[in-house]
Amino acid sequence: MPTVTIQPTGEVIYLEPGETVLSGLYKAGFAYTVGCRRGGCGICKVDCRSGEFRYDHPVADSVLTEDERADDTCLSCRAVPATDLTIELRGENVRLVSTFLHQINEKARQRAEAHAAATQTAGTTHKE
Amino acid sequence: MGVMRMGYAHVRVTDLAEAKDHYANTMGLYETHAEGNKVYYKAWDEWDHHSVVLEEGGVGLVKFGWKVEKSSDIDDIEKKAQAFGVTVERMSKGENPEIGDGIRFTTPSEHVFEVYHEATLVGTEVGTHNPDAFPRHLVGVGVPALDHSLITAEDPGLMDRFLTAVFDFYPTERVQTSLDSDADIIATWMTSNNQIHQLAVLAGPQGKLHHFAFRLGDWVEVGRAADLFSMDDVPIDIGPTRHGITRGQTVYFFDPSGNRNEVFAGGYLAYRDRPMSVWTPEQLGKGVFYHARELNDAFTSVLT
Ligand code: FES
Ligand SMILES: [Fe+2]
Repeated sequence: MPTVTIQPTGEVIYLEPGETVLSGLYKAGFAYTVGCRRGGCGICKVDCRSGEFRYDHPVADSVLTEDERADDTCLSCRAVPATDLTIELRGENVRLVSTFLHQINEKARQRAEAHAAATQTAGTTHKE
Repeated sequence: MGVMRMGYAHVRVTDLAEAKDHYANTMGLYETHAEGNKVYYKAWDEWDHHSVVLEEGGVGLVKFGWKVEKSSDIDDIEKKAQAFGVTVERMSKGENPEIGDGIRFTTPSEHVFEVYHEATLVGTEVGTHNPDAFPRHLVGVGVPALDHSLITAEDPGLMDRFLTAVFDFYPTERVQTSLDSDADIIATWMTSNNQIHQLAVLAGPQGKLHHFAFRLGDWVEVGRAADLFSMDDVPIDIGPTRHGITRGQTVYFFDPSGNRNEVFAGGYLAYRDRPMSVWTPEQLGKGVFYHARELNDAFTSVLT
Protein backbone atom coordinates (compact mmCIF):
# COMPACT_ATOMS: atom_id res chain seq x y z
CA MET A 1 0.00 0.00 0.00
CA PRO A 2 2.36 2.66 -1.20
CA THR A 3 2.04 6.30 -0.33
CA VAL A 4 3.45 9.19 -2.30
CA THR A 5 4.60 12.26 -0.43
CA ILE A 6 4.68 15.41 -2.50
CA GLN A 7 7.32 17.98 -1.60
CA PRO A 8 7.57 20.75 -0.66
CA THR A 9 4.09 20.72 0.92
CA GLY A 10 4.45 17.25 2.43
CA GLU A 11 1.02 16.23 1.19
CA VAL A 12 0.64 12.44 1.45
CA ILE A 13 -1.34 10.52 -1.16
CA TYR A 14 -2.44 6.93 -0.91
CA LEU A 15 -2.10 4.74 -4.03
CA GLU A 16 -3.69 1.42 -4.87
CA PRO A 17 -1.14 -1.31 -5.53
CA GLY A 18 -0.07 -1.22 -9.19
CA GLU A 19 -1.31 2.34 -9.69
CA THR A 20 0.98 4.87 -11.38
CA VAL A 21 2.08 8.01 -9.57
CA LEU A 22 0.19 10.18 -12.05
CA SER A 23 -3.09 8.31 -11.86
CA GLY A 24 -2.82 8.19 -8.06
CA LEU A 25 -2.34 11.92 -7.79
CA TYR A 26 -5.18 12.62 -10.19
CA LYS A 27 -7.45 10.25 -8.35
CA ALA A 28 -6.64 12.12 -5.15
CA GLY A 29 -7.81 15.39 -6.66
CA PHE A 30 -4.49 16.86 -7.76
CA ALA A 31 -3.47 18.12 -11.19
CA TYR A 32 -0.22 19.09 -12.82
CA THR A 33 1.08 19.41 -16.33
CA VAL A 34 0.71 16.18 -18.25
CA GLY A 35 0.49 15.26 -21.92
CA CYS A 36 0.02 11.83 -23.41
CA ARG A 37 -0.36 9.92 -20.12
CA ARG A 38 1.20 7.01 -22.01
CA GLY A 39 4.93 7.49 -21.53
CA GLY A 40 5.60 9.07 -24.92
CA CYS A 41 6.10 12.80 -24.44
CA GLY A 42 8.15 13.18 -21.24
CA ILE A 43 6.16 16.17 -19.97
CA CYS A 44 5.20 14.48 -16.71
CA LYS A 45 8.72 14.02 -15.31
CA VAL A 46 9.13 14.63 -11.59
CA ASP A 47 12.06 14.04 -9.24
CA CYS A 48 12.00 11.08 -6.90
CA ARG A 49 13.60 12.17 -3.60
CA SER A 50 13.27 8.84 -1.83
CA GLY A 51 11.87 5.36 -2.38
CA GLU A 52 11.83 2.91 -5.27
CA PHE A 53 9.59 2.58 -8.31
CA ARG A 54 9.46 0.59 -11.50
CA TYR A 55 8.07 1.37 -14.96
CA ASP A 56 5.05 -0.70 -15.92
CA HIS A 57 5.78 -0.36 -19.68
CA PRO A 58 8.88 0.00 -21.83
CA VAL A 59 9.86 3.68 -22.03
CA ALA A 60 11.41 5.04 -25.25
CA ASP A 61 15.02 6.27 -25.21
CA SER A 62 13.82 9.56 -26.71
CA VAL A 63 11.70 10.08 -23.57
CA LEU A 64 14.20 9.04 -20.88
CA THR A 65 17.92 9.36 -21.50
CA GLU A 66 20.45 6.97 -20.04
CA ASP A 67 21.31 9.56 -17.38
CA GLU A 68 17.67 10.07 -16.47
CA ARG A 69 17.24 6.33 -15.93
CA ALA A 70 20.04 6.48 -13.36
CA ASP A 71 19.26 9.78 -11.60
CA ASP A 72 16.15 10.90 -9.68
CA THR A 73 13.98 11.34 -12.79
CA CYS A 74 10.59 9.70 -12.48
CA LEU A 75 8.26 9.56 -15.49
CA SER A 76 5.15 9.85 -13.39
CA CYS A 77 2.60 8.46 -15.86
CA ARG A 78 4.49 5.15 -16.10
CA ALA A 79 6.06 4.91 -12.63
CA VAL A 80 4.53 2.43 -10.20
CA PRO A 81 5.88 2.71 -6.64
CA ALA A 82 7.67 -0.33 -5.22
CA THR A 83 8.02 1.37 -1.83
CA ASP A 84 6.68 4.59 -0.36
CA LEU A 85 7.90 7.49 -2.50
CA THR A 86 8.70 11.12 -1.99
CA ILE A 87 8.48 13.19 -5.15
CA GLU A 88 9.05 16.79 -6.06
CA LEU A 89 7.58 18.50 -9.10
CA ARG A 90 9.77 20.43 -11.50
CA GLY A 91 9.15 24.15 -11.74
CA GLU A 92 5.57 23.97 -10.55
CA ASN A 93 3.44 22.70 -7.71
CA VAL A 94 0.57 20.29 -7.78
CA ARG A 95 -2.77 22.03 -7.81
CA LEU A 96 -5.55 20.66 -5.66
CA VAL A 97 -8.45 20.72 -8.12
CA SER A 98 -10.91 18.55 -6.21
CA THR A 99 -11.20 18.69 -2.43
CA PHE A 100 -13.86 16.00 -2.67
CA LEU A 101 -11.47 13.44 -4.25
CA HIS A 102 -8.82 14.59 -1.81
CA GLN A 103 -11.04 13.73 1.18
CA ILE A 104 -11.87 10.32 -0.29
CA ASN A 105 -8.17 9.58 -0.74
CA GLU A 106 -7.42 10.72 2.80
CA LYS A 107 -10.07 8.37 4.20
CA ALA A 108 -8.73 5.49 2.10
CA ARG A 109 -5.27 6.15 3.47
CA GLN A 110 -6.51 6.21 7.07
CA ARG A 111 -8.37 2.94 6.55
CA ALA A 112 -5.29 1.33 4.96
CA GLU A 113 -3.09 2.49 7.82
CA ALA A 114 -5.55 1.24 10.45
CA HIS A 115 -5.74 -2.09 8.64
CA ALA A 116 -1.94 -2.34 8.47
CA ALA A 117 -1.66 -1.55 12.18
CA ALA A 118 -4.32 -4.16 13.02
CA THR A 119 -2.60 -6.92 11.02
CA GLN A 120 0.70 -6.00 12.63
CA THR A 121 -0.65 -6.39 16.17
CA ALA A 122 -2.24 -9.67 15.08
CA GLY A 123 1.30 -10.87 14.53
CA THR A 124 1.28 -11.25 10.75
CA THR A 125 4.02 -9.69 8.71
CA HIS A 126 1.96 -9.80 5.52
CA LYS A 127 2.21 -6.56 3.65
CA GLU A 128 0.77 -5.79 0.26
CA MET B 1 -0.24 16.54 -60.72
CA GLY B 2 2.66 15.24 -58.64
CA VAL B 3 1.88 14.36 -55.02
CA MET B 4 -1.63 12.96 -54.65
CA ARG B 5 -1.66 12.26 -50.92
CA MET B 6 0.14 11.15 -47.81
CA GLY B 7 0.18 7.46 -48.62
CA TYR B 8 1.56 6.14 -45.38
CA ALA B 9 2.61 7.20 -41.91
CA HIS B 10 5.22 4.91 -40.36
CA VAL B 11 5.52 5.38 -36.60
CA ARG B 12 7.28 3.80 -33.64
CA VAL B 13 5.44 2.26 -30.73
CA THR B 14 6.84 1.05 -27.41
CA ASP B 15 4.57 -1.97 -27.10
CA LEU B 16 3.40 -3.57 -30.32
CA ALA B 17 0.65 -5.68 -28.75
CA GLU B 18 -1.02 -2.65 -27.13
CA ALA B 19 -0.57 -0.59 -30.29
CA LYS B 20 -2.15 -3.30 -32.42
CA ASP B 21 -5.14 -3.38 -30.10
CA HIS B 22 -5.55 0.39 -30.43
CA TYR B 23 -5.14 0.68 -34.20
CA ALA B 24 -7.13 -2.47 -35.02
CA ASN B 25 -9.85 -2.59 -32.34
CA THR B 26 -10.35 1.06 -31.42
CA MET B 27 -9.54 2.74 -34.75
CA GLY B 28 -10.80 -0.16 -36.86
CA LEU B 29 -7.85 -0.48 -39.25
CA TYR B 30 -7.35 -3.70 -41.20
CA GLU B 31 -4.05 -5.52 -40.77
CA THR B 32 -2.63 -6.34 -44.20
CA HIS B 33 0.86 -7.57 -43.36
CA ALA B 34 3.24 -8.24 -40.49
CA GLU B 35 6.94 -8.98 -40.49
CA GLY B 36 9.51 -8.83 -37.72
CA ASN B 37 8.71 -5.91 -35.42
CA LYS B 38 6.40 -4.19 -37.95
CA VAL B 39 2.68 -4.36 -38.67
CA TYR B 40 0.97 -2.84 -41.71
CA TYR B 41 -2.58 -1.52 -41.83
CA LYS B 42 -5.08 0.02 -44.20
CA ALA B 43 -8.39 1.71 -43.49
CA TRP B 44 -11.62 0.47 -45.05
CA ASP B 45 -11.97 3.06 -47.81
CA GLU B 46 -8.34 2.91 -48.89
CA TRP B 47 -7.27 0.77 -51.81
CA ASP B 48 -3.48 0.64 -51.54
CA HIS B 49 -1.80 -2.03 -49.47
CA HIS B 50 -1.17 0.05 -46.35
CA SER B 51 -1.40 3.54 -44.90
CA VAL B 52 -0.15 3.00 -41.35
CA VAL B 53 2.97 1.11 -40.31
CA LEU B 54 3.73 0.41 -36.65
CA GLU B 55 7.28 -0.46 -35.69
CA GLU B 56 8.11 -1.65 -32.19
CA GLY B 57 10.83 0.27 -30.35
CA GLY B 58 10.59 3.91 -29.29
CA VAL B 59 7.98 6.52 -30.16
CA GLY B 60 7.50 9.14 -32.87
CA LEU B 61 7.78 9.22 -36.61
CA VAL B 62 9.91 6.91 -38.73
CA LYS B 63 8.80 8.37 -42.07
CA PHE B 64 5.97 9.45 -44.32
CA GLY B 65 5.31 8.01 -47.77
CA TRP B 66 3.90 10.33 -50.43
CA LYS B 67 2.18 8.82 -53.46
CA VAL B 68 2.62 10.57 -56.80
CA GLU B 69 0.40 10.33 -59.85
CA LYS B 70 3.02 9.42 -62.46
CA SER B 71 6.33 7.63 -62.19
CA SER B 72 7.95 10.65 -63.89
CA ASP B 73 6.86 12.73 -60.89
CA ILE B 74 9.46 10.86 -58.82
CA ASP B 75 12.28 12.11 -61.08
CA ASP B 76 10.81 15.57 -61.10
CA ILE B 77 10.64 15.72 -57.30
CA GLU B 78 14.16 14.28 -57.05
CA LYS B 79 15.51 17.14 -59.20
CA LYS B 80 13.61 19.78 -57.27
CA ALA B 81 14.74 18.41 -53.91
CA GLN B 82 18.36 18.37 -55.09
CA ALA B 83 18.00 21.91 -56.39
CA PHE B 84 16.77 22.87 -52.91
CA GLY B 85 19.98 21.41 -51.51
CA VAL B 86 18.62 18.16 -50.13
CA THR B 87 20.41 14.83 -50.56
CA VAL B 88 18.14 12.31 -52.24
CA GLU B 89 18.61 8.55 -52.29
CA ARG B 90 16.85 6.01 -54.47
CA MET B 91 14.75 3.34 -52.85
CA SER B 92 13.88 0.15 -54.63
CA LYS B 93 10.73 -1.87 -54.89
CA GLY B 94 10.26 -4.06 -51.85
CA GLU B 95 12.28 -1.96 -49.40
CA ASN B 96 8.82 -1.22 -48.08
CA PRO B 97 6.59 -4.28 -48.54
CA GLU B 98 4.20 -3.85 -51.50
CA ILE B 99 5.60 -0.40 -52.38
CA GLY B 100 7.45 0.27 -55.65
CA ASP B 101 10.63 2.14 -56.56
CA GLY B 102 11.00 5.68 -55.33
CA ILE B 103 13.17 8.18 -53.54
CA ARG B 104 13.94 8.98 -49.94
CA PHE B 105 15.25 12.16 -48.39
CA THR B 106 15.40 14.00 -45.10
CA THR B 107 13.58 17.33 -45.16
CA PRO B 108 15.01 20.60 -43.79
CA SER B 109 12.80 19.84 -40.75
CA GLU B 110 14.65 16.51 -40.30
CA HIS B 111 11.73 14.28 -41.14
CA VAL B 112 12.19 11.34 -43.53
CA PHE B 113 10.00 11.43 -46.63
CA GLU B 114 9.64 8.72 -49.25
CA VAL B 115 8.05 9.34 -52.63
CA TYR B 116 6.62 6.45 -54.62
CA HIS B 117 4.23 5.78 -57.45
CA GLU B 118 3.32 2.11 -57.13
CA ALA B 119 1.64 0.27 -54.29
CA THR B 120 -0.06 -3.09 -54.43
CA LEU B 121 -3.75 -2.55 -55.05
CA VAL B 122 -5.76 -4.34 -52.38
CA GLY B 123 -9.07 -2.55 -52.96
CA THR B 124 -11.46 -0.89 -50.57
CA GLU B 125 -13.64 -2.97 -48.28
CA VAL B 126 -16.72 -2.14 -50.38
CA GLY B 127 -15.14 -2.82 -53.76
CA THR B 128 -15.88 -0.96 -56.98
CA HIS B 129 -18.79 -2.92 -58.42
CA ASN B 130 -22.09 -1.44 -57.20
CA PRO B 131 -20.39 -0.60 -53.91
CA ASP B 132 -22.28 -0.20 -50.67
CA ALA B 133 -21.91 2.94 -48.57
CA PHE B 134 -19.72 1.37 -45.92
CA PRO B 135 -18.74 -2.09 -44.69
CA ARG B 136 -21.41 -3.58 -42.45
CA HIS B 137 -19.07 -4.92 -39.77
CA LEU B 138 -16.75 -2.04 -39.00
CA VAL B 139 -14.75 -2.33 -35.80
CA GLY B 140 -14.56 0.52 -33.26
CA VAL B 141 -14.35 3.99 -34.82
CA GLY B 142 -13.98 2.40 -38.25
CA VAL B 143 -12.01 5.23 -39.83
CA PRO B 144 -12.18 5.27 -43.63
CA ALA B 145 -8.72 6.68 -44.33
CA LEU B 146 -5.52 8.32 -43.17
CA ASP B 147 -5.92 12.07 -43.68
CA HIS B 148 -2.99 14.34 -42.76
CA SER B 149 -0.26 15.04 -40.27
CA LEU B 150 1.19 17.92 -38.25
CA ILE B 151 4.94 17.97 -37.65
CA THR B 152 7.22 20.46 -35.93
CA ALA B 153 10.24 22.28 -37.33
CA GLU B 154 12.53 25.03 -36.13
CA ASP B 155 11.71 27.05 -39.25
CA PRO B 156 8.17 26.47 -40.55
CA GLY B 157 8.76 29.18 -43.16
CA LEU B 158 11.60 27.14 -44.63
CA MET B 159 9.36 24.08 -44.75
CA ASP B 160 6.65 26.15 -46.43
CA ARG B 161 9.15 27.11 -49.13
CA PHE B 162 10.48 23.55 -49.34
CA LEU B 163 7.05 21.96 -49.79
CA THR B 164 6.12 24.63 -52.32
CA ALA B 165 9.29 24.18 -54.36
CA VAL B 166 9.62 20.39 -54.17
CA PHE B 167 6.05 19.05 -53.81
CA ASP B 168 4.24 21.93 -55.52
CA PHE B 169 2.15 22.28 -52.34
CA TYR B 170 0.42 25.54 -51.54
CA PRO B 171 -0.54 27.00 -48.17
CA THR B 172 -4.24 27.20 -47.34
CA GLU B 173 -3.83 28.82 -43.92
CA ARG B 174 -0.96 30.21 -41.91
CA VAL B 175 -0.20 31.54 -38.47
CA GLN B 176 2.08 34.56 -38.79
CA THR B 177 3.58 36.98 -36.29
CA SER B 178 1.66 39.77 -38.07
CA LEU B 179 -0.04 40.62 -41.35
CA ASP B 180 3.11 42.31 -42.66
CA SER B 181 4.78 40.77 -45.68
CA ASP B 182 7.98 40.20 -43.70
CA ALA B 183 6.18 38.46 -40.82
CA ASP B 184 7.55 35.20 -39.47
CA ILE B 185 5.59 32.05 -40.22
CA ILE B 186 4.70 30.24 -36.99
CA ALA B 187 2.70 27.49 -38.65
CA THR B 188 1.53 26.56 -42.14
CA TRP B 189 -1.17 24.23 -43.51
CA MET B 190 -0.30 22.86 -46.95
CA THR B 191 -1.82 20.73 -49.67
CA SER B 192 -1.48 19.80 -53.32
CA ASN B 193 -5.17 19.55 -54.14
CA ASN B 194 -8.66 20.28 -52.73
CA GLN B 195 -7.98 18.58 -49.41
CA ILE B 196 -7.67 21.38 -46.84
CA HIS B 197 -4.29 20.13 -45.65
CA GLN B 198 -2.09 17.12 -46.20
CA LEU B 199 0.74 18.32 -44.02
CA ALA B 200 0.94 21.12 -41.49
CA VAL B 201 4.14 22.40 -39.94
CA LEU B 202 4.29 24.12 -36.56
CA ALA B 203 7.25 25.91 -34.97
CA GLY B 204 8.99 23.56 -32.55
CA PRO B 205 11.84 21.10 -32.35
CA GLN B 206 13.20 19.45 -35.49
CA GLY B 207 12.06 15.99 -36.50
CA LYS B 208 9.11 15.69 -34.15
CA LEU B 209 5.59 14.41 -34.68
CA HIS B 210 2.67 16.42 -33.33
CA HIS B 211 -0.05 14.09 -34.63
CA PHE B 212 -1.29 12.12 -37.57
CA ALA B 213 -4.97 12.14 -38.35
CA PHE B 214 -7.68 9.85 -39.64
CA ARG B 215 -10.63 11.10 -41.65
CA LEU B 216 -14.24 11.01 -40.48
CA GLY B 217 -17.46 12.17 -42.10
CA ASP B 218 -19.09 14.65 -39.74
CA TRP B 219 -19.72 15.88 -36.18
CA VAL B 220 -21.76 12.81 -35.29
CA GLU B 221 -18.93 10.48 -36.20
CA VAL B 222 -16.44 12.63 -34.29
CA GLY B 223 -18.66 12.50 -31.21
CA ARG B 224 -19.09 8.75 -31.52
CA ALA B 225 -15.31 8.35 -31.82
CA ALA B 226 -14.87 10.28 -28.56
CA ASP B 227 -17.40 7.97 -26.88
CA LEU B 228 -15.39 4.97 -28.03
CA PHE B 229 -12.19 6.53 -26.68
CA SER B 230 -13.81 6.70 -23.26
CA MET B 231 -14.96 3.09 -23.55
CA ASP B 232 -11.44 1.98 -24.46
CA ASP B 233 -9.62 4.25 -21.95
CA VAL B 234 -7.87 6.18 -24.72
CA PRO B 235 -6.49 9.46 -23.28
CA ILE B 236 -8.26 12.38 -24.96
CA ASP B 237 -6.07 15.47 -25.33
CA ILE B 238 -8.88 17.78 -26.45
CA GLY B 239 -12.30 17.63 -28.05
CA PRO B 240 -14.66 16.97 -29.55
CA THR B 241 -14.21 20.53 -30.76
CA ARG B 242 -13.58 22.49 -33.94
CA HIS B 243 -10.41 23.95 -35.33
CA GLY B 244 -10.82 27.58 -36.38
CA ILE B 245 -8.02 26.85 -38.82
CA THR B 246 -9.34 24.51 -41.57
CA ARG B 247 -12.78 24.54 -39.83
CA GLY B 248 -12.31 20.82 -39.20
CA GLN B 249 -14.10 18.97 -36.39
CA THR B 250 -11.75 17.07 -34.23
CA VAL B 251 -10.67 14.95 -31.31
CA TYR B 252 -6.99 14.82 -30.35
CA PHE B 253 -6.07 11.67 -28.45
CA PHE B 254 -3.07 9.47 -27.74
CA ASP B 255 -2.17 5.97 -28.83
CA PRO B 256 -0.88 3.54 -26.16
CA SER B 257 2.70 4.73 -26.73
CA GLY B 258 1.85 8.41 -26.41
CA ASN B 259 1.85 9.29 -30.11
CA ARG B 260 -0.91 11.83 -30.70
CA ASN B 261 -3.64 10.81 -33.11
CA GLU B 262 -6.57 12.83 -34.41
CA VAL B 263 -9.92 12.13 -35.97
CA PHE B 264 -10.76 14.96 -38.34
CA ALA B 265 -14.00 15.70 -40.17
CA GLY B 266 -15.04 18.47 -42.51
CA GLY B 267 -12.75 21.26 -43.48
CA TYR B 268 -13.66 23.34 -46.50
CA LEU B 269 -12.47 22.70 -50.07
CA ALA B 270 -9.09 24.18 -50.86
CA TYR B 271 -8.26 25.83 -54.17
CA ARG B 272 -4.99 27.25 -55.43
CA ASP B 273 -6.65 30.56 -56.25
CA ARG B 274 -8.51 30.92 -52.94
CA PRO B 275 -6.89 33.68 -50.88
CA MET B 276 -4.99 32.18 -47.97
CA SER B 277 -6.38 32.66 -44.45
CA VAL B 278 -3.96 34.25 -42.00
CA TRP B 279 -4.14 33.95 -38.21
CA THR B 280 -2.22 36.19 -35.85
CA PRO B 281 -0.96 35.18 -32.38
CA GLU B 282 -3.62 37.00 -30.34
CA GLN B 283 -6.29 34.75 -31.92
CA LEU B 284 -4.21 31.58 -32.10
CA GLY B 285 -6.19 29.92 -29.28
CA LYS B 286 -9.37 30.33 -31.31
CA GLY B 287 -7.59 29.22 -34.46
CA VAL B 288 -6.52 25.94 -32.94
CA PHE B 289 -9.41 25.20 -30.55
CA TYR B 290 -12.39 27.19 -31.74
CA HIS B 291 -14.53 26.64 -28.63
CA ALA B 292 -12.07 26.72 -25.70
CA ARG B 293 -10.28 29.62 -27.50
CA GLU B 294 -7.25 28.85 -25.42
CA LEU B 295 -4.16 26.89 -26.32
CA ASN B 296 -3.60 24.17 -23.79
CA ASP B 297 -0.06 23.61 -22.60
CA ALA B 298 0.11 20.27 -24.34
CA PHE B 299 -0.52 21.69 -27.84
CA THR B 300 2.96 23.08 -28.21
CA SER B 301 4.88 20.93 -25.73
CA VAL B 302 3.61 17.38 -26.14
CA LEU B 303 5.32 15.75 -29.11
CA THR B 304 6.84 12.38 -29.91
S1 FES C 1 2.40 12.43 -19.84
FE1 FES C 1 3.54 11.98 -21.65
S2 FES C 1 5.19 10.83 -20.83
FE2 FES C 1 3.92 11.07 -19.08
FE1 LIG D 1 -4.70 17.70 -37.62
